[in-house]
Amino acid sequence: MTALALDRPRLERPQFRATPATALLTLLLILAAAIAAFPLAWMILTSLKTPQETMQVPPIWLPASPNLDAYTQVADVVNLGRSFVNSAIIALTTTVAIIVTSLMAGYAFAKYRFRYRNALFAVLIATMFLPPIVTLIPLYRIAGSLGLDGNLAGVIVPNLANAFGIFLMRQFIAGVPDELIEAARLDGASEIRVLFGIVAPSVLPAIAALTLFAFVYHWNSYLWPLTILQGNSDQYPIVISLSRLLSYNRGAMNTGLVMAGATMAVLPPVLLFIILQRFFVDSIVASGVKG
Amino acid sequence: MQRSHQLSAAVMLAPATGLLATFIILPMLLTIWLSFHSWSSQTGFETAQFIGLQNFFDLASSSSVGRDFKTALGNTAFYTVLSVAIILPLSVGLGLLVHQTIAPGGVVLRTILFSTYMVPMIAVSLVFSKLYSPTEGPLNQMLGWIGVPPQTWLSAPQTALVSIVLLNVWQQVGYFTVLAVAGLTQIPQSLFDAAKVDGANALQRFTSITLPLLGNTLLFSAVIAVINAVQVFEPVALITQGGPVNATNVLTYHIRRVGIERAQGGLGSAMAVTLMLALIVAITALFALARARSPRSA
Repeated sequence: MTALALDRPRLERPQFRATPATALLTLLLILAAAIAAFPLAWMILTSLKTPQETMQVPPIWLPASPNLDAYTQVADVVNLGRSFVNSAIIALTTTVAIIVTSLMAGYAFAKYRFRYRNALFAVLIATMFLPPIVTLIPLYRIAGSLGLDGNLAGVIVPNLANAFGIFLMRQFIAGVPDELIEAARLDGASEIRVLFGIVAPSVLPAIAALTLFAFVYHWNSYLWPLTILQGNSDQYPIVISLSRLLSYNRGAMNTGLVMAGATMAVLPPVLLFIILQRFFVDSIVASGVKG
Repeated sequence: MQRSHQLSAAVMLAPATGLLATFIILPMLLTIWLSFHSWSSQTGFETAQFIGLQNFFDLASSSSVGRDFKTALGNTAFYTVLSVAIILPLSVGLGLLVHQTIAPGGVVLRTILFSTYMVPMIAVSLVFSKLYSPTEGPLNQMLGWIGVPPQTWLSAPQTALVSIVLLNVWQQVGYFTVLAVAGLTQIPQSLFDAAKVDGANALQRFTSITLPLLGNTLLFSAVIAVINAVQVFEPVALITQGGPVNATNVLTYHIRRVGIERAQGGLGSAMAVTLMLALIVAITALFALARARSPRSA
């Protein structure tokens, strides 16, 4: 992993000394982490309770005999396995495509000189700040007229490129030495080979960060899939099936099922974050929030 | 050493530019065009009939269309202001904690703090709908332990929107804390050391060094927080459906309901254009505010 580390000095921090002040700060941090963790802990604990336990007033916190019944039963209510696969297809396809399109555009903006470069960059980056609801109504119609409604392709195709990815890649590729690129060109490498053989391997931390951003965004995305899939439940990603679970479940009030489904939906993005988190923080630092 | 490579540039830029042009820029221009038309979302764009500013007059009128829209606009504004007002100070506070706490185990605590941003909003909404449950929920139970009477949370108009703000803060604050940490790492330690030598206490160091030098980070955070806040959709669509009595009817939910579900594409587009204009005004105001505060870094 050290080979992937960014070429920047790590943060300099003073040596840890246990003083009353640091003890207080640590205590505050533990409190903040506890508040952050509580809803997720509640979700997991409730998924392990019996239906009776989930309905107790006042609520009980710990299941008397934790069991996985909710996880087996939830599959009877909605096809969560199928939805899980759909979400994986959506998130993985968009992530790979976003990395490729962002590398290409980021490389052009960082290393080529061409007319209207800054104007085009500004226009593309501006799309990053546009809330999706602003384009939703015509996009729904455009995707429909392209035959993309009601299927996974409709969820995926409009999301194969992304302004944030272009921005991130341009920032990192600008730091790749021109001599490295020139040397490869002199060896007769095509521009595509220069990009994917030389440039891409030297911006792996940025690719890792973009992987995390894109995967999590598209795994979690709800508004667009809900709009374009139009009730075709075979194609639902897990977040939509999860939302249906609540309405199916209103009568029975088996909260455990809902929490089991939620736990399954939460795991992939959170696990990916735990694996890639240092690239997340580093990319935000390096992408220049300093303005 | 940059090359003049018009052809290669075109090839490299074509995929991303084509996709963003087709699926974001073209729809945005169509939204503006449709806002001047009467158009059913169930039909092709060629059926749109030009009606000038009529959609905007309807939105401004005191008819039910206008009343619902103004309620949604007001709810979104309230939601946005409250979200930003809580998230920004909290993110700076947590950022300072994370940045300064070097105790063993700090990494684990930081991971927990940041990970909430990765949790799908649908799952957040589901879990919070149970946490907020007036009788079976643990929040009222815990309030009871410290003698606070049970709250109505999502079930009453007075508290529903604030409850959704709190749920949103829980999910988002980790991301803004990362931004704050990123800003804090760019402040040279030597400034703090020099201030210490001059006898400045922790509060003076914060107000005279940390806060001013964090200005650009805070501006960026505020802009992103505003843009995120107007997108709130999942908790409303899933739990409250805009209720009780329109108290949580926010713009993203309302525009989708009108423009897609009721197929009033022209009217919905006029709402979207109004939202876009409101965002431009809000973000311009934020920049002006930041410039007025710190003439040096503007």
